[in-house]
Amino acid sequence: MKTPFFVGILSIFLCTSLRAELKWEQTSLELHPGVGDTAAVGHFKYQNIGKAPVAFKSVRTSCGCTAAQSQTKEVKPGEKGEITATFKIGDRTGTQVKTVTVETDEEPHTATVLTLKAVLPEMLTLVPSFVYWTAGEEPKPKTIMARAGKDFPAKVLTVTSSNPEFVATVDSGDAKGEWKITVQPKQATRAMASALTIRPDFPKTSPHVFYANASVTGPPMTPPAAASPIAK
Amino acid sequence: MNSGLARQALLLIALAFVPGIGEAVYYRNRVSWQSAVAPSDSVTVMQARAWGDGALWVDARPEEEFNAAHVPGALPLNEDHWNELLPQFLQVWSQVPGKKVVIYCSSLSCNLSRDVARRLRDEAQIKNVFVLEGGWEEWLKVKN
Repeated sequence: MKTPFFVGILSIFLCTSLRAELKWEQTSLELHPGVGDTAAVGHFKYQNIGKAPVAFKSVRTSCGCTAAQSQTKEVKPGEKGEITATFKIGDRTGTQVKTVTVETDEEPHTATVLTLKAVLPEMLTLVPSFVYWTAGEEPKPKTIMARAGKDFPAKVLTVTSSNPEFVATVDSGDAKGEWKITVQPKQATRAMASALTIRPDFPKTSPHVFYANASVTGPPMTPPAAASPIAK
Repeated sequence: MNSGLARQALLLIALAFVPGIGEAVYYRNRVSWQSAVAPSDSVTVMQARAWGDGALWVDARPEEEFNAAHVPGALPLNEDHWNELLPQFLQVWSQVPGKKVVIYCSSLSCNLSRDVARRLRDEAQIKNVFVLEGGWEEWLKVKN
């Protein structure tokens, strides 16, 4: 009974001491890009602390908005390196969590999931960012609340409507950094739309522009009849 | 020896049940199988296709993937170019506000369609927004 147990422990020890092992400095990163940044870049550093080389089989990201690449295909014992993950911010808001899955030829743990958390700056939130009236409805004014986040010390807002059929005005809200944008169509008898461009006075050099939308929609639809197959 | 081990294992399993049963009895009115089921926000390809003209398809994938191929009639709407694409989407939606919006991305594992659905509901306050289960990959499978 004791001999097989000893042999088992010995084999586990031998396998451990000879195996390849990629040690990650950290498998999750939190990034805080600034206002105006277009991308957030994370560096996941590693070192091969094993006695055999480690080969990367694949590096996959959870989203098309994130690109990740390895500096090398194979990491020799003792060698250091990093996986660079670039998250494209685009028009995203809030906190974004993206993952990078790294597959290697290490046994038994061949896959490592790296997590990139990007806390995007709290800028201006518009609630709602879209107001609409149904054709035939009374064209009463509707309000969009604009609130500046802690990273966005704007003091003045201006709003312009792309369609003169919609009137948009800005008033200060109840609290600091809060505004009421009032939107009203001149009439709501037919479908029409307007893009509202909201310009704060921050950042001073190149103010960040925000958008809201207003529409008079078509009449409500009647429920669709029977199923109809899609063309392609 | 073996029967002793088996007895000990059974005893441990039985002991593990004691707090579990106690909790189930104590929280009997709050266990998940009695909770209200949240309305589903996802839809299968077959269900969405059955809506026919009552569905407005939205492609949440990156621009290059949309340009390569997409569901016929689908509108592009992704967070890379949200500010530019949202007005275009709203202009179409405004003509047919009663339509169900069906959003898809690449596959089951992608989250882009969920992110777009969340923003349409929260920011634009549009109702009747659904995420296509399995995304573009599933649509292709069913189509073929």
